Amino acid sequence: MGVPNASEDLSSEMEVDAFRRLFPLRFFERHLAESIRPDGRPLGKARETSIFLGAVASANGSALVKIGSTTMLTAIKMEVMTPSLEAPDEGCLAIDFHMPPICSPIVRPGRPAEASPVVSKQLSDTISSSRMIDLKDLSLVSGKAAWMAYLDVYCLDADGALFDAALLSAVAAISNLEIPAVAMNDDGKIVLVSDEDGQKRAQEPVNKEKRKLTLRSIPFSLTCILHKNYILADPTAEEESIMETHVTIVLDTSGQLISLYKPGGPVLAYTSAIQDCVAITRQRVKELKSFLDKENSAMEV
Amino acid sequence: MADKGGATPATYSPSPTTGRKKPPLLKEDWIRPDGRGFHQCRPALLDMHRFLSDSKCSRIDGALLIGGSAKRHLGPVSTRITSGVHGSVQPDIDFFRTGAVNAASGSAYAEIGNTKVIVSVFGPRESKKAMIYSDIGRLNCNVSFTTFATPVRGQGSDHKEYSTMLHKALEGAIILETFPKTTVDVFALVLESSGSHTSRCLGFGKRSQLEIMLCEALLLIDSMFLCNVPLQEVIASDNISECVSGDLPVVISCASLALADAGIMMYDLVASVSVSCFSKNLVIDPILEEENCQDGSLMITCMPSRYEITQLTVTGEWSTPKINEGMQLCLDACAKLAKIMRSCLKEAASDSQE
Repeated sequence: MGVPNASEDLSSEMEVDAFRRLFPLRFFERHLAESIRPDGRPLGKARETSIFLGAVASANGSALVKIGSTTMLTAIKMEVMTPSLEAPDEGCLAIDFHMPPICSPIVRPGRPAEASPVVSKQLSDTISSSRMIDLKDLSLVSGKAAWMAYLDVYCLDADGALFDAALLSAVAAISNLEIPAVAMNDDGKIVLVSDEDGQKRAQEPVNKEKRKLTLRSIPFSLTCILHKNYILADPTAEEESIMETHVTIVLDTSGQLISLYKPGGPVLAYTSAIQDCVAITRQRVKELKSFLDKENSAMEV
Repeated sequence: MADKGGATPATYSPSPTTGRKKPPLLKEDWIRPDGRGFHQCRPALLDMHRFLSDSKCSRIDGALLIGGSAKRHLGPVSTRITSGVHGSVQPDIDFFRTGAVNAASGSAYAEIGNTKVIVSVFGPRESKKAMIYSDIGRLNCNVSFTTFATPVRGQGSDHKEYSTMLHKALEGAIILETFPKTTVDVFALVLESSGSHTSRCLGFGKRSQLEIMLCEALLLIDSMFLCNVPLQEVIASDNISECVSGDLPVVISCASLALADAGIMMYDLVASVSVSCFSKNLVIDPILEEENCQDGSLMITCMPSRYEITQLTVTGEWSTPKINEGMQLCLDACAKLAKIMRSCLKEAASDSQE
């Protein structure tokens, strides 16, 4: 796209744009040398983050999370299952991450994105190993009925740091989750108890009131890019595609390390780099926790 | 999608004592999900522009129509509608917003009643696969549902025909000659459905279960709702299958907005509205409760400024004058809807200029 006759500043703008497309790495390195990123962020700063609880009215718990333009929608639907023989008094949490074709030009219908099973697995590993939810909390009648919580995360807009956004929306939805009041009827089936029909109190209530889960600790994560000596927090899709070494660190609210994920990449992670990443993550976890707490207390009012 | 039901341990959603999923569906919940969703949605993230539409009036008019004759069994409905008329409108406000997805060339978000839809448009881009040469552009459409879109988990995937219907509805409006050899992809994701098609889905292959459920439902709502619709008839209308539901018109309208946002040349915006017929009455933009007892449905997709129809679907029982009346209702509503869509585009354009 040559614009020879364009005015001075427009042509220089075109040049920057062309430079960015032709030499993306050099373009980024020029910025990094100045300790700033093309979107105006300092290297260690995450993008603007917002959380909106209860986005899906028909779900038992839901959250919509935006980190920059990466958008995730999570909803939890509670269903009833017969618990397994090995764990008769435990419920189950089934986590799934979806990348529908709307979220990115690289996803086509019928061909699931490469990233989605990876993030899906990472999510369920993280949430189960953080011991955020006590599965016994999801039990209804020992050996007979327990909750199966289907947690589905949908990526609505993919612009980098998918796992961070997915995890944040998952934990936000879990914090928003309200377990409905149910009772067991004569056939051994679990039925909902609504507040109005008092005459149906004949059955024995299994879960008398709507309740929230008690969460032991909440995991939050931050993905960083390692490039030369630079550490870039919360990368955009463009940054992720240019600089390929990522480190994802998950900490819980008490500052304990839950998971550290470095899927290869050309840059080796030295102790100091990892320590720096953990320090940035610690900062970020505090920030995310206060966001989530604020949203949750706003919900209660 | 694989984990839909039968995968790991078989699960079921705890139904109320009556066999339907949500007990207050016909009572308090009728107001609540709408009211709550909107109340919280608007000031929060989605930050949607609020359009208090004219087409809403036609909705209310239409609904009042049934309010007259069916007030007796639609008690809660008419309260909701009256409250709407008196100004405290929470349910059924139309929202459209363009530019919902940054990764796409164009996108739009629509929230109409309980139906929430995101449409992304990609392209024009290289046609995939070894496609034969075509000197006009191609249009590729796909509609998918989130697993939690429907009251019963994972049923949205039963709506394969939506993709084709969307394609057919838009094809005629797009100037395909402007992007030869390339493809424009229109992908829609229904985040939340008005629920309108779920009962119909149950109708296939699970007749006996459906019958049981219907019987139970009938027992419950008896005097309220279905009292004068014999069971046989309900089941019969269930088998009409390819009925239009409340989601498709929203998907189509939203898709045309996304196309406009992507700068794809069109003859006109495409607006779509459906109408349900209840013996003597017509209800515009029907929702679950209304569609469950409808005699027939009609959906029009049109280009209002050209007064051209791109898609027309009629199912069920209709008399000729009723069809005429229904079409007129739809066309009027489409014109109003297109006006709202246009103002949304204008607003987005003036925002981006600033």
